[in-house]
Amino acid sequence: MWPNLPKIPYQRYTKTKDLGGTITVEPALPISTGNYQPTNELEAWLLADQTVHILDVPATTTALTVSGDAAGVLIVNVAANAELTLMEHWHSVGDTLGLLVVLNLGAYAQVTYINDDQFRSQTAVIDRVANLDDHAHLDWTVAGFNRSQGFALLQTNLRGISAKATVNVGALASAKQHFGYTTQVENIGQKTIGHINQRGVITDNAHLIFNGVGHIVTGARGSDNQQENRVLMLSDGARGDANPLLLIDENDVTAGHAASVARIDTTQLYYLMSRGLPKAQAQRLVIRGFLDAGLVGIDGDLRQDLFDQIERTLQHGMED
Amino acid sequence: MQTLTIQDLHVKIKAEPKHPEILNGVNLTINTGEIHAIMGPNGTGKSTLAETIMGNPAYEVTQGDILIDGQSILDLPVDARARAGLFLGMQYPSEIAGVTNAEFIRAAINARRDEDDALPIMEFLNQLDDTMEVLEMPTDMADRYLNQGFSGGEKKRNEILQLMMIKPSFALLDEIDSGLDIDALRIVAKGVNLMRGPEFASLIITHYQRLLDYIVPDVVHVMKGGHIIETGGPELALELEKTGYEHLGEA
Repeated sequence: MWPNLPKIPYQRYTKTKDLGGTITVEPALPISTGNYQPTNELEAWLLADQTVHILDVPATTTALTVSGDAAGVLIVNVAANAELTLMEHWHSVGDTLGLLVVLNLGAYAQVTYINDDQFRSQTAVIDRVANLDDHAHLDWTVAGFNRSQGFALLQTNLRGISAKATVNVGALASAKQHFGYTTQVENIGQKTIGHINQRGVITDNAHLIFNGVGHIVTGARGSDNQQENRVLMLSDGARGDANPLLLIDENDVTAGHAASVARIDTTQLYYLMSRGLPKAQAQRLVIRGFLDAGLVGIDGDLRQDLFDQIERTLQHGMED
Repeated sequence: MQTLTIQDLHVKIKAEPKHPEILNGVNLTINTGEIHAIMGPNGTGKSTLAETIMGNPAYEVTQGDILIDGQSILDLPVDARARAGLFLGMQYPSEIAGVTNAEFIRAAINARRDEDDALPIMEFLNQLDDTMEVLEMPTDMADRYLNQGFSGGEKKRNEILQLMMIKPSFALLDEIDSGLDIDALRIVAKGVNLMRGPEFASLIITHYQRLLDYIVPDVVHVMKGGHIIETGGPELALELEKTGYEHLGEA
């Protein structure tokens, strides 16, 4: 069965697939190969003819950077009690890229997980799965600055008791790009907390879809599932969708959602311009501020790099 | 000396073309070195006047003119008017996430300077620190997002901080006293009074005499029914405090 990917024409994106690619890890940790049992059709498609890379991260590792230039399958096992910042940089070219990353968090592990996605292949199909054991905490931020067509499935499974995850997505869509994010959090264990926060900016004739899927399964008593999906359209040709979905199979839980599809706030523009900022600069500040809420936890050089990309994209892609 | 002149100004709300004019013939001349106050009952067009001078696109001038030093500014967009010397301290300042207060104020200052003559960062930060100290603002407010989560009083203080940093020629202050307790009012007034001088003018819009005890105006105007019906010295404000606006006829 294919995962639930509302409004995303996944068949169109999963016809062909490039193979190979290099994955590097810093500091160097041994990468082994092995097997992974797919849980759905999408994973099966991604796994076909690919090598499964397995990275075991001991509790003593506090920072790790994974870089990749193409497709692949990577399983990351984070040891119990680890406190880790995991950074992923992906830069792709070529035709169709399929990427599967499975992140397994041991009990009490605390992971900050940042994805610097810069896919440039014609098509990109991205599937990231995070599985959390008891009391594990995940702060996940995806900077989606792709130029590809395609989609990303970001799936968090709160398996263990009191597991907690926040998933932020800050995405920029430009030119004729069509891209969809399905960000899903499943509360499985009791007293689990899952929050989704997606922010997207759309220019030119691009189309960006944000699906938020919150699922509290039977048995996950005392759990909380919240989501916010917001897109900002900057041009007449821009299209945006924000689709919140809440599936609740258990009583004694809390859940909520908020969504908006909007154009730039003229009151904010007026305020900034009333201090002398030219319109284009005022627009860039409002947009940056909006997107910033989806780029939680990204700072330093990467933050500056992303802001520079926003500036460059807007200078080309803004309509008056 | 610079002069802001309002000539026979008539204004409508763009979105409501059938609604009668909100301003129907306002005349006003403000020179730098002067503080003017406009008082008057609710719904009389005081805020519309300030917003129209600033260039809020929601309002449409149907007759008359607004000039700085004899040059009409009606065709200038809001940002160009700001760079021409106007500043509007807003009644409801916007909240903008992701942009820090300090970053915004620096951008506003540099928007007035040549690209190769940006204000050096250290000089800017020193000025900002000093000004925030005058306004008794905690230093962390410089690094917070612009007005985001600020209380009503903090927002008003932040408007005055921007005023003092940007140093405009003409400051329109729209109910800068609303929602302020007496201590905050004193601090805001201190900021405005420090700006007083031959190169600064202000037009203060208020309902209450209270603010004018702290910022003593040179000229007081009373507005009613879309135009100015009376002009006098600071004593006029005191008189209004006693008698109210009711007895004032339509001029």
